[in-house]
Amino acid sequence: MRIGRHSYAIDYGHLALITFIAALVFWYLLDARSVSLSVNNLLLVQPVAIFALAMYLFIVPQCFHKLEAREAAKPTSENDPFAVSLSTDRADVIRMAALGVSLGLMVFLLDVIGFDIAIFLFAAAAMAICGERRPLHLLFFSLAVTLVTIYGFRALISYPMHTTLL
Amino acid sequence: MIDVSAFNDALGIMFTSVGSWGWIVPGLIVGLVFSAIPGISITMAMAIVLPMSLYMDFFSAIVFLTSVYTGAGFGGSVPAILMNIPGSPSSFATTFDGYAMSQKGEHNEALGYALFASTLCGIAGYVLLLLVIEPLADIVLRIGPVEMFAVAIWGMMLLGSLGSTYISRGLLAAALGILLGTVGMNTAGFTRGTLGLPVLLDGIAPIPAMIGLLAASQLLSLASRDYIIEAEGSREVSLRKILKGCWGTLKYPGVLLRGSIIGIIIGAVPGVGSSIGNLIAYAETKRTAKDSATFGKGNPKGVIAAESAVASGEGGSMATMLALGIPGGGATAILIAAFMMHNIVPGPSFIETQKPMVYAIILNNIVQAVVLLAVGIGFIYVASNIMKVRTRYVLPAILVIATLGTFAVTGEAAGPITLFVFALLGYALNRYQYPVSAVVVGILLGRMLETEFLRSYQLSGGNPLYILERPGAMAIFAVMFASLAMTAWGKRKQNRAEAAEALAMRQIQEETRAAHTTPSKG
Repeated sequence: MRIGRHSYAIDYGHLALITFIAALVFWYLLDARSVSLSVNNLLLVQPVAIFALAMYLFIVPQCFHKLEAREAAKPTSENDPFAVSLSTDRADVIRMAALGVSLGLMVFLLDVIGFDIAIFLFAAAAMAICGERRPLHLLFFSLAVTLVTIYGFRALISYPMHTTLL
Repeated sequence: MIDVSAFNDALGIMFTSVGSWGWIVPGLIVGLVFSAIPGISITMAMAIVLPMSLYMDFFSAIVFLTSVYTGAGFGGSVPAILMNIPGSPSSFATTFDGYAMSQKGEHNEALGYALFASTLCGIAGYVLLLLVIEPLADIVLRIGPVEMFAVAIWGMMLLGSLGSTYISRGLLAAALGILLGTVGMNTAGFTRGTLGLPVLLDGIAPIPAMIGLLAASQLLSLASRDYIIEAEGSREVSLRKILKGCWGTLKYPGVLLRGSIIGIIIGAVPGVGSSIGNLIAYAETKRTAKDSATFGKGNPKGVIAAESAVASGEGGSMATMLALGIPGGGATAILIAAFMMHNIVPGPSFIETQKPMVYAIILNNIVQAVVLLAVGIGFIYVASNIMKVRTRYVLPAILVIATLGTFAVTGEAAGPITLFVFALLGYALNRYQYPVSAVVVGILLGRMLETEFLRSYQLSGGNPLYILERPGAMAIFAVMFASLAMTAWGKRKQNRAEAAEALAMRQIQEETRAAHTTPSKG
């Protein structure tokens, strides 16, 4: 994107994240105000929400990088061992997203198909996502994770754990 | 300085709870193993094992979790010395001289220096805590709601401003955490942000949220790697040489003392922690050393300085946590969560009413530091193999354990669902360099902040000048500004030290490369 004589790259992911956070904060503020305008209700929530929205406005420009500055900044981040080094490679992002989706599916299906089947399917899916292709390894390791965790946690916790087969 | 009667009671607790001692070795091993795997942090390890402590009695749970904390303090230095990859951020400065010693074939001695410095300074940090807890108790008793609010705000500001490269992002993370912590019904009876879900009336479940933010989000990001870290081949381990290194540590009492003092002070400041303490201790030791030119080339003083600050920092952060109930970072936030799971709130009232228990926790930490010496030597033998782990086996197993752990805490699907939602949020925050620990501490402290603020408001009748009647609160604000200035100065110094070290390391690497590529004459 060009503004004046400079070209800018927009970090859409970052912009989406902070806009989501700002929307969440704004909704929370409106929800709190809809409950009551009493000081006892808004004493902390309102100033902190306004502060968060002000921070949002302050951070928005950080999503726009001058192209030359972006190129110059690259080598330093490569030298920092603790710089957030999440891969931006398409295949890697797909892997991470797939793992996130399978975690979500497991979590929402625990009570539906049973903890045992959900854990087994998740473990197999996660192994496959991380690169395991040997069927026997997929089968036996997922089975081992399922058995150890189900029986281990059943011994540990007092709540009933809904299972289909175990 | 010590309440003798409470101290005797503490010894009684120690000896009547001998069963709890059995959790020391498993806790140390968990801490050592997790922190030796680069990419898996101390907080992640503690978050994963936190639900297990729910089914222990209070003292056993704290012994187990603090053992994980103690073990993790040293565990990170093993890959730092053997592979030049710090297992955790607090071992960063250990790589400077530790790996250089390793390249010279002195890795056993380096590990010995690191282990003994960790043990001695860990003990020193807790002995000091034992001495100051009584006077500290007198001071914290005078703390009212205004003072507590001031301290909590101070902690949040430091966490937010120091936890990230960008201060604005850190402050947004802290504000988001506080707001999330106020969801549900407040002490005045107003209900906000529940979306009509009854499960949110008591607020967001802090432990599943914490496990999601600190552990699951990090694990998702490891999916793209085949191995968590590509390790070098294992090296020969020699007990004799490790012990030689241990013994050699005693030759540098000044370095140990300086590192300990820096570690304790930095560790006690919320949001700073050992990840900065080790760098400052290293830089100070190098600055004052006569042989500063040999730092970065395998000087044992560099390893000792860095490790002593990490180990003693634990005592400092525990002081803040026990006395004020304010977590200094992710690890102490998890300890506070463990307190809460047993319906105990750390802070002024806990320290006053449960002084024998406080002493018992401190004494047990001293025992842990001693046990670490034996467990640590055994651990070094297997460490180089542990570090080479395939993600395809680690990820599914740990994610399943984390998910079931959250179920164990809540007893319903709300726990795992909270974990999932906060794992996604944590992943996104990590990706764009927002300090996740600020969100975690905000969730933990949000409710307390609101309650104390409300009380202060009611006491003052809405008059801001009421603060002038509270000298304690004014003193805390003064300390807050002073410490903000001090930590800002420390951060600046750290950045300079990092830049200087990076330059020095680059020069050494270039010299080595040049020496290898120069064709031999004759």
